[in-house]
Amino acid sequence: MEKEKLEQNQNQNEKPMSAFVKAIVTGVIGGLLWSFLGAVTHYFNFSSVSPATFLIRSWLQTKWSDGWLGELLAIIALGLISILIAILYYALLRKMKGIWPSIVFGVVLWFLVFYLLQPIFPNIKSMTKLTSDTVVTTVCLFILYGTFIGYSISYEYYDSIKQNEPKSKAET
Amino acid sequence: MGQLKEKVPVPNKVKEVQEYMKKRVGVGTSFDVGFREITIFKKKVHLYYLTGLCDTSVIVQIIKKLVSINDQERNTSKLPEVIENRLVHQQVDKVKNMDEVVDQLLSGLIVVFIDGDSEAYIIDVRKYPGRAPEEPDTEKVVRGSRDGFTENIIENTALTRRRIRDERLRNEILKVGERSKTDICISYIQDIADDGLIKVIKKELENIEIDGIAMADKTVEEFLVKQRFNPFPMVRYTERPDIAATHLFEGHVLIMVDTSPSMIITPTTYFHHVQHAQEYRQSPMIGSFVRWIRFIGILASVFLLPMWLLFVMEPTLLPSGLEFIGPNEQGNIPIFVQILLADIGVEFLRMAAIHTPTALSTAMGLIAAVLIGQIAIDVGLFSPEVILYVSISAIGSFATPSYELSMANKISRMLLVLITAMFGVEGLTVGFTLYILGLSHTKSLNTPFLWPFIPFNLNALVQILFRLSVPAMKDRPSIVHPRNNYRQP
Repeated sequence: MEKEKLEQNQNQNEKPMSAFVKAIVTGVIGGLLWSFLGAVTHYFNFSSVSPATFLIRSWLQTKWSDGWLGELLAIIALGLISILIAILYYALLRKMKGIWPSIVFGVVLWFLVFYLLQPIFPNIKSMTKLTSDTVVTTVCLFILYGTFIGYSISYEYYDSIKQNEPKSKAET
Repeated sequence: MGQLKEKVPVPNKVKEVQEYMKKRVGVGTSFDVGFREITIFKKKVHLYYLTGLCDTSVIVQIIKKLVSINDQERNTSKLPEVIENRLVHQQVDKVKNMDEVVDQLLSGLIVVFIDGDSEAYIIDVRKYPGRAPEEPDTEKVVRGSRDGFTENIIENTALTRRRIRDERLRNEILKVGERSKTDICISYIQDIADDGLIKVIKKELENIEIDGIAMADKTVEEFLVKQRFNPFPMVRYTERPDIAATHLFEGHVLIMVDTSPSMIITPTTYFHHVQHAQEYRQSPMIGSFVRWIRFIGILASVFLLPMWLLFVMEPTLLPSGLEFIGPNEQGNIPIFVQILLADIGVEFLRMAAIHTPTALSTAMGLIAAVLIGQIAIDVGLFSPEVILYVSISAIGSFATPSYELSMANKISRMLLVLITAMFGVEGLTVGFTLYILGLSHTKSLNTPFLWPFIPFNLNALVQILFRLSVPAMKDRPSIVHPRNNYRQP
């Protein structure tokens, strides 16, 4: 009995953190997964940009940065950056229901990166000069990334609310 | 139909009963409904039965006992009580209205009327024609139980009950179908399964208004999850009692429909369709390995053909080292037409293999595989690579454990091939995105279909990517909203 109570208490202590921690985990995995897919699309020449072209080759035009090592480092870096994006989504948009807000979020993120932040990355051509293949592929990737982050976070948020409700009722 | 619902009491006189039965059930017209009159102490006793669905030896015993009342009993004043006492069976029911009598009679129970008594006695002597449990064809395992559900709902509940002797396992039965009156059973473990889900399912089942559900589980599924044009399977079926029991333990709700050996497992996600009992019968390492190979197969069945088609259309996309991909010579027919034709050919084969008797199917396989493949190349219809890639993706879809999922993936693959043929790189990426978005937008009974991938859940995804050992899986999957989260109390 005591053990059970302890476990329950621990659960309750973790509960408010849980959705937030999950958001961070989602951010890391989402960043790793979709930037890896970005590297794959670059490998198959679907798009002329890859994680490494943004994060490393903008400043470092060495030989290794063009190979798999560059991609790997860039993917890991994106996994970390993605934590910030996930926290941002959690803080601002977690109450948005359904899949559409997160798709829009992905598109907005794409504009941010390719239009507003483009001057930071000297290696990236301006939006209008990219090939249509590159544009479509990267937009798709950003949409998928946005969905992954956004939909997961909002679902987890509502799920944690739902799960807490009946329990507290049962206990009182 | 509303008028029929008015309850008719059991008449006092057996003559009236006979009249009523003649009119309503067609005794005398329908040969499978019969009745037998016996006289006990100058009172008439009528016994109605359905020829096909009851156990004659039991009925004979009962009649013997009834007739022997004439020789052994003296007290004639309390005849109904005496007769009730002599109905030698454990399941005897007294009913007062004719609707219930008719319902029960047509389910295969026998009904006894006594002249002067306004109650009928119903005795459960049912014996349905059916087969013994055997291993289901679609879910074979190398090791493990060879049990399988049958068409008999009572046997099916017994098969799960044998695995779950928990007093909290609930099997609720209800009837669906105005005319067929098919039994449907909802099974769940009371303190695990989500109340809300049970309520939703019950409500949906009660709202079914149809005269009959001869196609059993499939019809019920269509009422339960409004699928419309979505080809993906919204529920998982199983014919294996061990899988059914596992899912009950996880907090799923099972729906059993009489006359079908397939149980409906709810709620279901995409990833329920890519698991197989086989994995849990081998060591975790092997199980994970098998699962990964299967994932590769499933991925290949969807994305390999459109990818390859893209590389054929635009060889410049290929990174250095992979230039050998793509046909060496230009064929006579555009590649995407070849792909679609070959895919349709595989589909022919699959359908034919289902309908052809086993004796002929070997010959058919020979003709199809050896002759059509090679000769189609020689004639110049297909290029060899088309055959290779179409075969890989066909085998990939056969490696999908769920037949329904493999069919849905086949349709997605054809659409992806078409869109790639039309728009190239953009077609494929947009198609891929739509595939993922469409799946994650789908909900089956309020459950996101692509969970735990999107929405993401790390623990659950790890359990899908790796077949963990059972002692390591301490929590129930959160998607079923279990009321009690720990598997290991």
